[in-house]
Amino acid sequence: MAADGLHVDTRGLPPPDPLVAVLWHITQPERNGPVIAHFDRDPVYLLPELAERGWSYEYGAPDSDEVRLTLRPAP
Amino acid sequence: MSMAGRFLGGAQDRLLPAAIPFRFFVTAAVFHLLAWMVLLLAADEVAGFRGGTGPVLAAIHLLTLGTLAMTAIGASLQLFPVVTRRALTRNWPGHFSYALMLPGVALLSWGMALHQTTAMQLGAGLTCCGLLVFVALTANNLRRASSIPVVAAHGWLALATLFVAALLGVLMIWGIELNILSNRSGLAITHLTLASYGFMGSLVLGLSLVLIPMFVLSRSLPPNPGWAQLGLTALALLVFSISFVSEFPGLIWLALIAGFGGTGFYLWQMAKILRSSMRKRLGLPFVLIRASWGFLILTLLLVTAYLAGLAIPNAVSLIGFVLLAGWLLTFLCGVLHRIMPFLASMHAAGKSGLPPLLSDLTAEGPLMLHAVCHFSAVTLCGIGIVADQSLLIRIGSALGVVGAAGFATFAIIVALKVRQGPRTS
Repeated sequence: MAADGLHVDTRGLPPPDPLVAVLWHITQPERNGPVIAHFDRDPVYLLPELAERGWSYEYGAPDSDEVRLTLRPAP
Repeated sequence: MSMAGRFLGGAQDRLLPAAIPFRFFVTAAVFHLLAWMVLLLAADEVAGFRGGTGPVLAAIHLLTLGTLAMTAIGASLQLFPVVTRRALTRNWPGHFSYALMLPGVALLSWGMALHQTTAMQLGAGLTCCGLLVFVALTANNLRRASSIPVVAAHGWLALATLFVAALLGVLMIWGIELNILSNRSGLAITHLTLASYGFMGSLVLGLSLVLIPMFVLSRSLPPNPGWAQLGLTALALLVFSISFVSEFPGLIWLALIAGFGGTGFYLWQMAKILRSSMRKRLGLPFVLIRASWGFLILTLLLVTAYLAGLAIPNAVSLIGFVLLAGWLLTFLCGVLHRIMPFLASMHAAGKSGLPPLLSDLTAEGPLMLHAVCHFSAVTLCGIGIVADQSLLIRIGSALGVVGAAGFATFAIIVALKVRQGPRTS
């Protein structure tokens, strides 16, 4: 795990595997810290699922190669 | 465009403006209500229906074009760009397709109900133009597809069968005027088969490979069973059509075997997805979706029994009803129960924070009313057709009207919440 949190790279996976991979990681019992998720497309379908699990998200700076989201448990 | 989309901008954004899919979905809910209302008015003619213009044909097209095709177009325009990783190049064709389809379906159904040939011709023309815009838009997206080729191939089959089904439909309507058709019932059955099993069926089978794992949170499957499902479905549709054109009835059994094979591969994959689901409670949408799979099997069994010569009273009406109201309508309503609040939440999402909860964007009461009334309506109408009892069909259709009103209430509530606009965070 990197210093800034757990990185989950879903680039190259077909839908809905990126969604499933990220949700699997954030629902692990020991997962409290930030998760930095890397996508090759805007993960719009992930956002309602994060809300249901009480996780907030923040888009990273725009990048031509990836879309990056930082995920944290909502306070 | 969503806040997330605006933030990301450019080709990263594959989320259509909410107005496009929701316009199709809300209109589908209204046509759904009208379809059951017309069926209620025509209850005496349902069991013995064998084709021809009149209110039953109007109810069928309010359901197929007004409800099923409208839903399919709205969902396809939203989902294919996500599946193919290619954004739609322009938004106006989606609006244009809707602007043609809405008056087209209304006029066509009106003309069918009242035996008005000119209204039917004009309505069919507008509807076909609206469908052509959709075909061109989707074909352009599929042509540039780089992800999940098996789903894109299902999309191509759906577009091809839609084109032929629409052509046959127009031919039959013009044939009334020109009196040029000799095998009218054969054409009508081929038109129904290509439109339902072909266009709608291919979309259901293809998009299920992405939608069902997304709903239940399961990993995508290896592509080979999906290709087998597609190949057998295409073979079934091709052989079925040839058997009617060539009037060689033996071929129809080959089509049926291929149809069972394609369905078998599809249901096997769906069962595998459900077994590996991360979501424990699938809720009301999956009561509908699972039931629709049962109706799919039932239609094929009924066709087999009919072809084998078993004496099923009003078999043709029953097969058509179970196919359209049982399988396709039940499946699409189940998908819309789930996807409309989901899309609403996506469109309300900002560039950070938490989007609204799905539970805040849905309407549980109207959905439950719809599900209970829908199953009661399908069951009572089905029994009424077999027993040739208009009263049962009338009660069933009345329940269908109540259920459709519940569904329309849900659709309007969700659409109004989307109109409130995205969060500002």
